[in-house]
Amino acid sequence: MSEQLSVWELVVNASLLVQVVMGLLALASVVSWMMIFQRWFFLNRVARNVDEFEDHFWSGIDLRALYNELDGKDDLTGIESMFVAGFKEYSRMAEQPNADADAIMQAVQRATRVTLNREEGRLEATLPFLATVGSTSPYVGLFGTVWGIMNSFRGLANMTQATLASVAPGISEALVATAMGLFAAIPAVIGYNRFSARVEVLMKRYEAFSDEFISILHRAAHSRGKSNTPGSPQ
Amino acid sequence: MVFALRMYILPLLLAVAIHALAALALVRGFNPEAITTKVIKPQIVQSKLIVLEPKRSKTKPKPIPKPMLTPAPVVQPKPEPKPLPKPEPKPKAEPAKPKVDAAAKRKAALKKKQEQEAQAKAERLQALADQSFMDALDDEQAMLDEVADASDAAVDAAAAQSFRMGIYQAVVGNWSRPPSARQGMQVTLLVELVPTGDVVSVSIVDSSGNGAFDRSAQSAVNKVGQFVVPTESELFERHFRKFTLLFKPEDLLR
Repeated sequence: MSEQLSVWELVVNASLLVQVVMGLLALASVVSWMMIFQRWFFLNRVARNVDEFEDHFWSGIDLRALYNELDGKDDLTGIESMFVAGFKEYSRMAEQPNADADAIMQAVQRATRVTLNREEGRLEATLPFLATVGSTSPYVGLFGTVWGIMNSFRGLANMTQATLASVAPGISEALVATAMGLFAAIPAVIGYNRFSARVEVLMKRYEAFSDEFISILHRAAHSRGKSNTPGSPQ
Repeated sequence: MVFALRMYILPLLLAVAIHALAALALVRGFNPEAITTKVIKPQIVQSKLIVLEPKRSKTKPKPIPKPMLTPAPVVQPKPEPKPLPKPEPKPKAEPAKPKVDAAAKRKAALKKKQEQEAQAKAERLQALADQSFMDALDDEQAMLDEVADASDAAVDAAAAQSFRMGIYQAVVGNWSRPPSARQGMQVTLLVELVPTGDVVSVSIVDSSGNGAFDRSAQSAVNKVGQFVVPTESELFERHFRKFTLLFKPEDLLR
């Protein structure tokens, strides 16, 4: 019967189940925002690295020199590790005297494909979580609301004089759960859509690079008789 | 793994900060202003003039002749002129010189009296006009008061009704149904309260015929102990100092 209802009061006075639902949603919201920020920073960094690496790669640098430069590095970004994996496989295969060009190329393709898949997994990490939060938290909030409204109507049934004031606080507190569900879901959905679009763009660039890289190695493998190491990309 | 965890520290801090901001904004912003219900007294639309005019005509004749004639010193000159005209004709016949003087004097006196009379008359008229105006004002005031009283009474009654409803609900809420209670039973209780709302006494005015039922109602009132009563002492004195409670819980009896 308080004249002024604050959100805090509503949350504190809610029934246990509704409180659990609210807590769950608050947690989901915090974690999904964390994921959003993390993905944001990560994808920005990856995109910057891809730009830098492609510039470097097409600047006419010798591939073996580039490989040597990258091989010792601790944290390789996607496109770098793809290059390193492909080149390492190529060097290993090319060292064997009886390996023919097709066998070398198959091994290189396998190596880059594996790395590409792993990098895709790294780019898309935590996106499923955002998708889950975005699609389920409205339902979770709705569940809390329905439960709260159910309770407040059941309380109404025991009263002789049904007044709006006796159900309004219950419904209000129940609706807080829906609000929280939407609060968690909306950023998650937006984040998921945005980041999956960016991942797709990055993957397109990875694939384009790996195709180009493989074609360079292919050329080198088939002209292996003359020089054993591939030259700089032209 | 350590590297991966480190990657999440800044995002976590940012996420927590965003939620803290949102919560703060919500707590600050979500303050529905307490809705104060203003009781607007209905504007008086009654046709004041139509109601007032018959009243004025009724009241006008009464006070004017009586109070004007008796207390006013202006009235005294009236009987005086009577003896004057009598001696007047006599001296008129005798054209004596000293009497001319006297006649002139008398004439002047007469004139003066007439003037006085006229003045008195004017004054009386003025007073009369004033009086009627004041009467009209009084009437209007009385009527306004009456209307205001009526609307006050209506507001009071509404307030009292809401309190009465609360009291009734409190009693019903504390009532335990005796097995012998049947539908349609009703008991009238006389309840006396003190201004804090505490029950001083409960007595049965009109029994239901079933002692158990009567007692249950009585004990329900005693169990409540303290009712919510208006803080305005006037309203309390008028409605809740001592009131009868018709206890008739039909809806509970099956």
